[in-house]
Amino acid sequence: MTSATFFRPRGDDRRVASRPAARSASRPAAPQPAPEIAVWDRAVRAFHWLLVATVGVALVTGLWAPPSWHDVHLWSGIAAAVLVGCRLVWGLLGPTYARFSSFRPSVSRALAHLDAIRRNREPRHIGHNPLGALMIVALIGAVTVLTVTGLLVLGGVSKEGPLAAFTSFRTGATALTAHAYVAYALAGLVILHVLGALHDGPVMLRAMITGTKPAGTDAITAPEKPARPHPAVRTIAVAVAVAVVGTAVLSAKPVPGIPTAPLDPLYAKECGACHTPHHPSVAPARTWAAIVAGLDDHFGDDASLSAADTRRIADWLAANSAEKFDTAAANLMRTPSDTDPLRITATPGWRRLHADVPDAVFARRTVGGRLACSACHADADSGRFAARQISIPNPSPETKRP
Amino acid sequence: MMRASSIVCAIGLAAVSLGTAVAEPSAAQKGVLDGYVTTARQEAGFSGPSAERGRKFFFAEHAGGKADSPACTSCHGKDLTKPGETRAGKAIEPMAASVTATRYTDPANVEKWFRRNCRDVLGRECTAAEKADALAFLLGL
Repeated sequence: MTSATFFRPRGDDRRVASRPAARSASRPAAPQPAPEIAVWDRAVRAFHWLLVATVGVALVTGLWAPPSWHDVHLWSGIAAAVLVGCRLVWGLLGPTYARFSSFRPSVSRALAHLDAIRRNREPRHIGHNPLGALMIVALIGAVTVLTVTGLLVLGGVSKEGPLAAFTSFRTGATALTAHAYVAYALAGLVILHVLGALHDGPVMLRAMITGTKPAGTDAITAPEKPARPHPAVRTIAVAVAVAVVGTAVLSAKPVPGIPTAPLDPLYAKECGACHTPHHPSVAPARTWAAIVAGLDDHFGDDASLSAADTRRIADWLAANSAEKFDTAAANLMRTPSDTDPLRITATPGWRRLHADVPDAVFARRTVGGRLACSACHADADSGRFAARQISIPNPSPETKRP
Repeated sequence: MMRASSIVCAIGLAAVSLGTAVAEPSAAQKGVLDGYVTTARQEAGFSGPSAERGRKFFFAEHAGGKADSPACTSCHGKDLTKPGETRAGKAIEPMAASVTATRYTDPANVEKWFRRNCRDVLGRECTAAEKADALAFLLGL
């Protein structure tokens, strides 16, 4: 199928299509099926259902899935954003009812439409009615805001993606709050949209599958506009190319505030002898200074080192403490607990992030306690603690046996 | 006849088990042990390292240390050919020299762990004689 035939709505060459029986006038006894009018072209229908799928996956993975689903959320969100981008082009270059000019949003017309519904004198719109027009703008706007805030979260919090080089953790964290609120708003809009569709009845749902609605004489139609698929495809191709190249160029820029050096070998050997050698960015300098100064009674154990080794480790920790980085871990772990300031697992940020992890998980032999960061965080040594790197080990066979 | 073959079998098994269990300490390990023996000889009443005294010392419950670690076995376990576990949950390589051949080769490292662990288990530093005995025991495993 060429793009021209794909994008042509059914019955594009005849505005009012009808089934073959309606044209054979030789047998007038047969009941005439109502003529159908082409409303939603294939591109609009494909967009609609693909958006349902991608937004559905993004909402579910964003609101409920464990952090290891991060990439599914990310890619479903990107897919939704690309779909909306294509829809914006098609809204300018598509056929009659795909065009934004056929359903300009207007609050006053939407209120008038509501009033007409209340008086049971609702006019029948072939395209979007004024309430539907507002809904489409709101849905597209919500996905657009979610795309922008999502990229800010990816850049500022995860330190990944095209905005990583330009976005602080603070900005990313603010964007995350906005992202969540807009996501809840989008879920609400989806519910309203479905309720509106149910109000309009099965004709509405059928139209989004077959593309046609019964014409009728009372229906409000829009002035006919031809689709311009070739300019649309060219525009989308250029936009996608610009977006891909731009993302690649921006993503390749060096990101400030992320740890890149491996752990100091002496630190990794000495501290790693008893527990996961914690990345220095997970505690502030004053915590590290106090820990190093008290190694002869380190949480109840004698962990003393020679004076030279103590100094070398103290210097390295001070130079790489939480203040020196802008990662999520560094930001969330920078403020120690008031009551137990040296214990990393007592840090309010740590406790909040691990609130959903039951004690039984930490007790698993395959995990090995709260200090065993790398049991679940494959990238713990790097200080990144990316969501996609989280994998909680299953209980070992021994502990499952009764 | 039956009896003679049993005896031959028993001797053979004993030889095999001796051959695997009692690995000859390396030069570096002997050097670490000799260092403690030399110091211990300056302490009163020490005539030479005893693996048997070392075994008793290692398995004994000592007073004076921390509640979580009354004995060496609190962390190292009772089967010294198997890994132990730190209080923080990390595995400790088996103590038996025949299983972990890299052990007891660096005098500074051995002394570091004696210093820390004796304070935790006994509440004091160990004497050179105690270290020599324990080392003789662990090198013979």
